[in-house]
Amino acid sequence: MKSRKLYNRISVLRKERNISRKELAESIGVNIQTVGYLEREEYNPSLDLAFKINEYFGLPIELIFSPEPLKPLSEEIIELKNKIGGEK
Amino acid sequence: MKKQNSRKQNRVWILLNYFSLIALIVFFYTGKYFQWPISLVVFEIGSVVVFLISFLKAFIKTKYWKMVHTSYKNLDEREMQVVLNALRYAYSIFTIVCLIIIYAFAIVEYHPIDVLLAAGLLYLAHTLPAAIAAWNEKNISIDDD
Repeated sequence: MKSRKLYNRISVLRKERNISRKELAESIGVNIQTVGYLEREEYNPSLDLAFKINEYFGLPIELIFSPEPLKPLSEEIIELKNKIGGEK
Repeated sequence: MKKQNSRKQNRVWILLNYFSLIALIVFFYTGKYFQWPISLVVFEIGSVVVFLISFLKAFIKTKYWKMVHTSYKNLDEREMQVVLNALRYAYSIFTIVCLIIIYAFAIVEYHPIDVLLAAGLLYLAHTLPAAIAAWNEKNISIDDD
């Protein structure tokens, strides 16, 4: 069975927080090459690894992984802001 | 910056390694048949040198040899997939190579497989999984942030 591609924001989050690939790899318990594969979206992580990544960044899973192409974070923040403004 | 072989370089070293292994065996039998003229001795030594250098570059420097021979406990989930996939293909390729050699020997009615050819097959069996992993894997530099 061919699994569908998962999109992620690992690269953006890592750069934003000024973390090296090596540091991230050590923290989530994988090889540095695997971080490269995850960032290039050439490898879908297991559920366990996906949760480790979420825990590391302290963000909900849907903000990091998605089966649909992800929008830039800035766009998502504006949308969220508009949504909150609309509710008020 | 720590430099690593690119996938293209890995592939070149792997091909060079197996071609030099074939050349080494061919020159050995040819040299033995013609009672070792100096030109064949030089070619044989040249093949051995290329074989050793390419082995170091393709398997040891890239750490794929270590990767396919280490315990699963030392691998992450993606590496385990890579190793399992490499072993699967290596098993098929090795079986085909063995069958070709057995049938070729049967057709030409050659004497039984000798030590050098057996050593070559043993080497192939041990390096094929690492070669397949190195052939498919993309390397990234440690400092490539």
